[in-house]
Amino acid sequence: MSSIVTAERLSKTFQVKVRDPGLRGALRALFRPHYRDVLAVRDVTFGIDPGEIVAFLGPNGAGKTTTLKMLAGLLYPTSGRVEVAGFIPWTGGPAFKRRIALVLGNRQQLVWDLPPEETFLLNRAIYDVGDRDYRERLAELVALLELGDVLQKPVRQLSLGERMKCELVASLLHRPPLLFLDEPTLGLDVTAQDAIRRFLIEYRERHGATVLLTSHYMQDVTALASRVLMINRGRLLYDGALEALVARIARTKRIELVLGGGDGNRVTAEALAAFGEVKSFHFPNAVLEVRREDAPATSARLLAALPVADLSIEDPPIEEVIRLAFARSGEEDE
Amino acid sequence: MIRRYAALIRNAWLVDLQYRASIVLWLLWGVTEPAIALGIWWAIAGDGSVAGYARADFARYFFAVMLINQLTIAWDSWYLDRWIRDGELNFRLARPLHPAHEAVAENLAYKARTASVILVVWLVVAVAWPAVRLPFAPGRWAITAVAAVLAAAMRFFISFTTGLLAFWTTRATAVMELHAGVSLFLAGRIAPLALLPPAVAGIAGVLWFRSMLAFPVDLLTGAVHGTDGVLRGLAGQIVWLAVWVGAYRLAWLRGLRRYGAVGG
Repeated sequence: MSSIVTAERLSKTFQVKVRDPGLRGALRALFRPHYRDVLAVRDVTFGIDPGEIVAFLGPNGAGKTTTLKMLAGLLYPTSGRVEVAGFIPWTGGPAFKRRIALVLGNRQQLVWDLPPEETFLLNRAIYDVGDRDYRERLAELVALLELGDVLQKPVRQLSLGERMKCELVASLLHRPPLLFLDEPTLGLDVTAQDAIRRFLIEYRERHGATVLLTSHYMQDVTALASRVLMINRGRLLYDGALEALVARIARTKRIELVLGGGDGNRVTAEALAAFGEVKSFHFPNAVLEVRREDAPATSARLLAALPVADLSIEDPPIEEVIRLAFARSGEEDE
Repeated sequence: MIRRYAALIRNAWLVDLQYRASIVLWLLWGVTEPAIALGIWWAIAGDGSVAGYARADFARYFFAVMLINQLTIAWDSWYLDRWIRDGELNFRLARPLHPAHEAVAENLAYKARTASVILVVWLVVAVAWPAVRLPFAPGRWAITAVAAVLAAAMRFFISFTTGLLAFWTTRATAVMELHAGVSLFLAGRIAPLALLPPAVAGIAGVLWFRSMLAFPVDLLTGAVHGTDGVLRGLAGQIVWLAVWVGAYRLAWLRGLRRYGAVGG
């Protein structure tokens, strides 16, 4: 399958004005401005196939939004090559822009003082959507996002979750095959986050859209993305499935135990420590951490040696794995 | 494109209807400045005249300033500055419509609204006050309309281009404030150019300031004499419009390359 997004050795450098603190610093900066190059994205290469949902993972300032904005044609790369839906984004013009949607979690396109429907009508005109298509698509999006009663309320009276849902409607009326979502669940409560995730999955299934998103919420990534691109300090650290990342980064597994046995022959922490590192122990529950490759054998020994009522083998929490991955990339940088 | 403009203008008017009080305030602001200037020159002229301008001439001049200024004024630098600095330009760049079209549509919406009110006010005042009546001259009005369109286009590009300076500096609106201050004198907002010292009026004529307001105002009041005067004025407008369109193109293309796409 040919890629819908190709980035080759993509780099972006920003010039940032630096000045010393205080009045003297301000005056010096006024007459002799001093600039520093910030390498926001360095030599990033990847390809994305049609229909994939791919998440950019990374801490604040890692370069994920900058990458997304270069793909959407908002920013000119300093070097490298990008092709998106058959176009070079910043020269693609209207034909390219009709093929993408850009949703920014912290900036809105909805006209603040008017009901969202007015923005939808405006986008219908801007994207040249036919009347019939407009009615059908609007009905579908409103039903999927359960937006029925908010279309006539002014945007300023909508909740954050309702606004984000309306942003999605406004951005998808022209039915783009490629969606760029920058923090689409930013600041939303759990219910609204979940509604957005379910919508994106359903929308992709119905229309085969390709979705690229950035998010700080791991639930977004685990629920949506079949693949993650992990970026830190502008570098692409990892490109692949989330499970494979966990397997690569997490060198341990967790064995969660529910212990049996009466009060007379309670298992002690010391007895558990013989099998691995005891992460927590509140009888009858215990969590042990063991080397990844030892997990099956240790489980067998535990079952043989101790009164175990229940046992399960888990990966460490995903947040911990990600934190570990970024910490290691930091060490490698230094 | 007509459908897009209709949708943009419709939205602009719908937003305006949410802020009726602010429309009245902006309109009052647009009327107050020429009214004050008229009051001052009215007192100075007394029963005589200043550089050939009697009281009735000043009255016609400042009513024409009111109308032409509302028809040609552009606020785009303030919008552009905000779009660029707050990242509101982002979604506009992702749409298949150049952001300048939205700005032009906003201008059309604003001008149609305020200028029509001023025209009505002028007509009502003219019924009671013969001094502000203009002689019936459809040919002159037609040329004035052309000059007003050229002036509006030029002021739009001046404002838009100045707003684009926000790609480089956080003080783009200060540059526009400075331009507005200079144009108070050089564009003829505070006094007819004929009343300025010849050297200053000369600068106004060589630069774009006369073209942006005083020339169409003088056309409307009949102060431009001869075909030669009209043609030279129109030529000056076209040259300066071309210069500002060029400056806009340069600033837009260079600015986009520099753009940091603030936010997130």
